[in-house]
Amino acid sequence: MKQWMCLNCGWAYDEAVGDPSAGIAPGTRWEDIPDTWRCPDCGAAKSEFDMVEV
Amino acid sequence: MSVMTAPLKLEDLEDRSFDPFMVEKLSHGSTADPYPTIHAAMAKGPVHKGAYRDLFDAVPDVQMAGLNHYVVLGYDLIQQVLLDPQTFTNREAFEHNLGRSFGHTVTVMDGEEHARFRRIFQRAFLPQVVAKWGETVVDPVVDRLMGAFIQRGEADLVADFTHHYPFQVIYRQLELEPEQAPIFHKLAIAQLLSSIGAPQGQEASRKLGDFFAGLLTLRRAQPGSDLVSHLATVEVDGERLPDDVLIAFLRQLMNAGGDTTYRGTSVLLTGLLTHPDQLAAVAADRSLIPQAIDEALRWEGPVASTWRHAARDVTLAGVDIPQGAIVNVVLASANRDPAKFPDPDRFDIFRDRSVRPLPFATGPHVCIGQHLAKVEMTRALNAVLDRLPNLRLDPDKPAPDIVGHILRVPEHIHVRFDPA
Repeated sequence: MKQWMCLNCGWAYDEAVGDPSAGIAPGTRWEDIPDTWRCPDCGAAKSEFDMVEV
Repeated sequence: MSVMTAPLKLEDLEDRSFDPFMVEKLSHGSTADPYPTIHAAMAKGPVHKGAYRDLFDAVPDVQMAGLNHYVVLGYDLIQQVLLDPQTFTNREAFEHNLGRSFGHTVTVMDGEEHARFRRIFQRAFLPQVVAKWGETVVDPVVDRLMGAFIQRGEADLVADFTHHYPFQVIYRQLELEPEQAPIFHKLAIAQLLSSIGAPQGQEASRKLGDFFAGLLTLRRAQPGSDLVSHLATVEVDGERLPDDVLIAFLRQLMNAGGDTTYRGTSVLLTGLLTHPDQLAAVAADRSLIPQAIDEALRWEGPVASTWRHAARDVTLAGVDIPQGAIVNVVLASANRDPAKFPDPDRFDIFRDRSVRPLPFATGPHVCIGQHLAKVEMTRALNAVLDRLPNLRLDPDKPAPDIVGHILRVPEHIHVRFDPA
């Protein structure tokens, strides 16, 4: 399975869960998350994420 | 096949009778339960002038005393501080203590330099990487340690198990000769004593540094599949990790990756054993293990406080904090903030999980090893549940008592079980 993962901290974005604390509803596709969104664990920019095999 | 470390010998402290374990334990404070004090301080407001240590009776911190300290309490404010690395920096907060002990570690870096090196180290500790170590590195260590006491029907899970396994995981990753391990552990603890001014601190840092420099030379000459070979040869954008940065990271590994996991696992077992209904639930349904770990680390996070430096004048919750102040970020207060975690002092693996606890902190310096810690704790708990049937606290011995106000751990977990 592949997931978008923050390379600064290893936090993985799960589309089914979203990031409700930042207003990202469950089911939100990665490409629909605004570029201003930050990694909830370490605060890294969306551009710090990469698609990785988990 | 990697190179053996046989030619490398660690040098013991000159004063062989010096016991760094006892001195280090004293420096973490003996407060049994710091939470009433933390709650009382929070009730007066989220920001106070003074140091976190000053809330308790503590061994003086000779490196940090005399600096202008402020305590920050509560989830929202702590998150704000840790997610603002431009205002709240690391170097000045840690160069007096961890910087002296470990050297040029990522913990004492800020900004671009930190981001550059952090990504390289984190790559070796991403979830999909460390997951593989569960089977190859963690399980053999856990099996061997448990094999020594499963016949007895009773054990002290700290003395027999948790105080050893995370360190032995590191020894395996370093491919350390078994007879070197006791000296390695002793030096790794002794190096921390720079923070209380003990001369053995710098002596231990130097001796570990010499050892790691030799290890890097060996691994670069003949790289294997081990962690050190990887870190010694990894290149990002054509650049290798500088020796001083890599040696500092390796010095920190025992404390950041061994000591905290020993404490976290001990706290997890304490929480479950003192709540037998929750222990039974986890034993019956192992899918509950991740939330049991999250709750244990929220309830009794091993690291009660971290520190930052105010890089400019800043106002937090109406309190002016001048540039140069040391901000004591009390993680324990975030994880027991009643506004985020109702009835916060209760251990409850079934509590609502919509708010993320912060035992590993947050922000760009969030714990690099958090995914490995969870793999280790999961493997350890599964082994305990699989191999110690009818596990319960020993009614004839004292119940586990978590102590310390900087770093927390129970000294003993006396249990009984059906012998193998």
